[in-house]
Amino acid sequence: MNEDKSNHIFIFPRWTWVLRPGVALGALGGLLYAAVVVTFGFSPVATDVGYEPVQPVPYSHALHVGQLGVDCRYCHSTVEKAAHAAIPPTQTCMNCHAMIRANSEKLIPVFESYATGMPVEWIRVHDLPDYVYFNHSAHVRRGVGCVSCHGRIDTMEVVAQVEPLSMGWCLRCHRNPEPHLRPIEFVTQLDWVPMEDQAILGRRLRETNNINPPTDCNTCHR
Amino acid sequence: MSSIKPTGATYWRSLDELSRTPEFAEAVQREFPNDEFDTLPPATRRQFLMVMGASLAMAGLTACRWPKEEIVPFAHRPEFRVPGVPEHFATSMEIGGAALGMLVTSFDGRPIKAEGNELHPDSLGALSAVAQAQVLQLYDPDRSRRLLLRESGQEFVKRWDDFRAIVPAQFAGDGAGIAVLAEASSSSTQAKLREKFLGARPGARWYEYEPLSRDNEREGTRLVFGSAQRVHPELTHAAVVACFDADPLFDHPASLRLAREFAAARDPESGAGARLYAAESTYSLTGVRADDRFAVASNRVPALLAQVAHRMVADHGVDLPAAAAGFAGSVDSAASDAEARFVQALANDLAAHPGYSVILVGPRQAPAVHALAAVLNHALDGVNHTVTYSSVPDPDRPSHFEAIAELAARMGSGEIETLLILGGNPAYNAPGDLGFAELLAKVPTTIHLSLYDDETSQRCTWHLPCAHTLESWGDGAAWDGTVTLRQPLIEPLYGGRSAIEVIALVAGDEPISGRDLVRRSLGQDLPAMSSEVGWRGALRDGVVDGTAWQKTTPKLSPSALAGAVDSLRSVLDTPDPTSDRLELVVMGDAKVLDGRFSNNGWLQELPDAITKVTWDNALLISPATARELGIGDGEVVVVEANGATLELATYVLPGQARNSVCVALGYGRTAAGQVGDGVGVDANPLRTVAAPYVLRGATIRGTGRQYALATTQDHFAIDTIGFNERNHRVENLVREASLDAYLANPDIFHEYDHHPPLISLWKDHEYEGEQWGMAIDLNTCIGCNACVVACQAENNIPVVGREQVLNQREMQWIRLDRYFKTDPDVPIDEIDNAEVVFQPMTCIQCENAPCEQVCPVAATQHTPDGLNAMIYNRCVGTRYCSNNCPVKVRRFNFFNYHKDLADTTKMQFNPEVTVRARGVMEKCTFCVQRIEAVRINARNDNRPIADGEITPACAQTCPTRAITFGNLNDPKSKVSHSREEHRSYATLAELNIRPRTHYLARLRNTAEESGGESHAPSHAEADTHGKESV
Repeated sequence: MNEDKSNHIFIFPRWTWVLRPGVALGALGGLLYAAVVVTFGFSPVATDVGYEPVQPVPYSHALHVGQLGVDCRYCHSTVEKAAHAAIPPTQTCMNCHAMIRANSEKLIPVFESYATGMPVEWIRVHDLPDYVYFNHSAHVRRGVGCVSCHGRIDTMEVVAQVEPLSMGWCLRCHRNPEPHLRPIEFVTQLDWVPMEDQAILGRRLRETNNINPPTDCNTCHR
Repeated sequence: MSSIKPTGATYWRSLDELSRTPEFAEAVQREFPNDEFDTLPPATRRQFLMVMGASLAMAGLTACRWPKEEIVPFAHRPEFRVPGVPEHFATSMEIGGAALGMLVTSFDGRPIKAEGNELHPDSLGALSAVAQAQVLQLYDPDRSRRLLLRESGQEFVKRWDDFRAIVPAQFAGDGAGIAVLAEASSSSTQAKLREKFLGARPGARWYEYEPLSRDNEREGTRLVFGSAQRVHPELTHAAVVACFDADPLFDHPASLRLAREFAAARDPESGAGARLYAAESTYSLTGVRADDRFAVASNRVPALLAQVAHRMVADHGVDLPAAAAGFAGSVDSAASDAEARFVQALANDLAAHPGYSVILVGPRQAPAVHALAAVLNHALDGVNHTVTYSSVPDPDRPSHFEAIAELAARMGSGEIETLLILGGNPAYNAPGDLGFAELLAKVPTTIHLSLYDDETSQRCTWHLPCAHTLESWGDGAAWDGTVTLRQPLIEPLYGGRSAIEVIALVAGDEPISGRDLVRRSLGQDLPAMSSEVGWRGALRDGVVDGTAWQKTTPKLSPSALAGAVDSLRSVLDTPDPTSDRLELVVMGDAKVLDGRFSNNGWLQELPDAITKVTWDNALLISPATARELGIGDGEVVVVEANGATLELATYVLPGQARNSVCVALGYGRTAAGQVGDGVGVDANPLRTVAAPYVLRGATIRGTGRQYALATTQDHFAIDTIGFNERNHRVENLVREASLDAYLANPDIFHEYDHHPPLISLWKDHEYEGEQWGMAIDLNTCIGCNACVVACQAENNIPVVGREQVLNQREMQWIRLDRYFKTDPDVPIDEIDNAEVVFQPMTCIQCENAPCEQVCPVAATQHTPDGLNAMIYNRCVGTRYCSNNCPVKVRRFNFFNYHKDLADTTKMQFNPEVTVRARGVMEKCTFCVQRIEAVRINARNDNRPIADGEITPACAQTCPTRAITFGNLNDPKSKVSHSREEHRSYATLAELNIRPRTHYLARLRNTAEESGGESHAPSHAEADTHGKESV
């Protein structure tokens, strides 16, 4: 390895020169491909949207909300007063299921939890980074509907993420909230459609409710 | 640029700086000194590729989806509990037999922050640094987790049932041979259990020991009144406060209240200007605030007070009671001109303000000195005005040092068969001449209840894990007697039990919970407590209103006084210390006290207010004495006193009394835990029962070795230019004047502001809504460090350790700048007294912020409400911002300081604040999480934010309310009002940074300048006292 090789510089044969444009093209293409993969492949749209984990209890929002008409706030009762729209305690399930389908096999984890006091371990679907401080109450009390971020939960057998929940996505609404505003009484009504043009309604609601969503960093990052 | 130096004095931060040593020159050369990548191993090219390749592969694997997270809701959610919304519970802690009320924030069941309880008379909403650090101690992974039995050199892990099984045999019979050693406690529950225990075992004895005891004060009152009294200084209307080795503003069970009262008595806007005199051997925080401070050996302090008495009687005809006349004649000659001047000025001022003056004596002084002060307060008509008395619980118990000495004697003679030690750590902190640690081996069964498996536990047969304050039920009494409750915030993490539960167990009480014990006891004391409504109301408030002890007006007892005079004479007869027979003052540490908080990183890393030393104790020595003995600053010396020696580094402190050296207790622990072991040097072996605080005849000799104390005083001096510039600007940074000069010319503080027209390159921000601003009053800041710890707890600020502090990498967001101020004509080693100024310096949220302008990734930005926001997730760690910061308040995470924390310690984190990773810059945010929380609630309710609704952690805990926070856009807000005060000024105005934190200038009220006239607050008020001063 230590012998002097300075006199034996390896030179490609002349005929390989025709390959040069091909190599350059390949390298450029590779770079482009990497850029595309990183931009789209690693974006929340690709990685997060459609995330649909299997939950320990096959709870169907389509059944409870869509068919039976349970309001979101019956279970997620803290949504109007706290940052978290808390997952309900087992007690909430048992309010009905102590009587209804009290023998269902699907509900065994719920009954066990209720009897032992140990929690049901749900899988988090909508997961923001820990340095993001999202507050549910600040949104639902100003007329941003659940559906804007969570989609038509009332049609989902298994809850899936429908929006990317990325910072760019948040800012789109913070810069122009009008398309997502609705009268506060319809916030939890997922299938609500405005009776008038959303653009006019949005502008009016924004004015009457004095909605000026901040876009400075401290709003969400502390 | 201003170069006016109206006082002709120089400001400086350390002796190195004042004398321009080469070390200091080197230190200021570099902003990030010792900036080598010291803990990274050298890497070869191959290793580098290996690591990078592996990280790339792993990054690819994990980037597909965030890690799976689970949500675990309650099975049965407690009523009113909203997940993610913090709750507050009133509870208390007890140190040295006085309960301090706290309001603890609990986040989803985890206590994360302790604040003061506004309803508690000793807290009034504030909390000391030590008490706030309780939260960290709760989660300390080094706390004892096991009940241990040590027999024949072996350790056995046992259960509480095993201990219960031996109780009947160990505590049987009439109790002969049984002794209990407890910490001081004001709990009525514990007192009842003790009575029950002793009632059934008449032969058993109960001893109470505190290494830092206030018993001398108690004994002093007994010498004067014939019965022990508790002394309550009342400073609100005081015009002259004289402190003799006393530190009412910091080292007193009611110091938070006294600091608040003192601030009120010094409020220049109401015309109040109480004058504070201090004679002391080493700086106390009260001494720092003194208008006239005289540094004198503790041994000489009694003579000083006797001279004051003499002058008052001789010059001003103050009437001493006949029996006490001997006091005045005790000493009438001063040792020096300076002493004579101080004595005369103080005597004049005291005599001129009868009814508005008070003399306070510190716990290290002998009872006779306290007696003399009590007599003088009586003669000055201070009783029921500036000092009140109440009865004291358990007045006939022996003093703490008598108690431990008697116990040690009985242990030595083999009388004691069973010794139960409740808390404390006597093997470590009993006076050295007792040899307590060795005596423990002579007792067949020793049982120690303790938070840690510490020095004492390791020498005992049984170690019982103690429940932490925040894990247990209890009660106590405030310094004024107000019944204070303690309730647990969390189940005991490690199966510990509280002292009352253990006493109940050994007393043979039926198995009963701590809660029931407290409730039963309170129900017996207070009829209202037996109802559910009364009990729950008391738990909610943390205190029971109206239960303070009756104030008494004790009569002087002539027979007792005769003894007091004789006793004082013998105190005065002791010779003054000389440089070859020094006086060694042993004091409790301001942070770890007697060592009970040694394993607390927040407190160990907290820079001492005066010395700025972290992670160590040092021998404080005056420049003159150091020169005489040929000892350098930072030199390791051997101190010998009472036949024991210790070796530690010196800290040459200007303002320390000559021939008096001082060392703090609480260091040199060997079984404190990972944090506290081996930090500093233990001074307990030098103490004796006869002289636990002031040791005479000490000698020191240098070893020639140097030791680097991790002090923060020269940190953030930028570079040579910056350093020179700072010196140039100190008078601009900290502004002060005498009260008279200020009253004569209210604009005095703005004569400094000379600068060219301020033109900005940047467009001004336009603001509509709230504009946050802060005002910090240097006139009321006492440098107690409470804000520093509050900030650390609130904002998840890491502890970096001694090595990193030496590298200038401490992380506390609030830097409590301490400047000494001396006459430039006095040579360094002749400085006897330096004035000290504190300036809490944190991000001043510049309107025109230099940091924002240099950040390449816009990670620090201005928000519409005027904050200089720091966005951690955007920061790439260029440190340009820190380089460009004129006040050097940005802190950089050189390492991931949170990585190796125990899971329990992580439970303390405030979930509302991001935990910063390595490579991220951080700084004060005005507690933006608190602002956002209030703003969201206010907007939800469609109402404006009220003034005072938002309080940053530092302002919340400040005992003197020196920090005001609020909306500058609201002309009626408190902070807007303080902006309008004449004392308000902005630091570094000539840089056009336009800070949002303004400072209020500090005022001095020295007697020379005002010709002996004090601006008493009370004089302005209508009073019926009828003894106006002239």
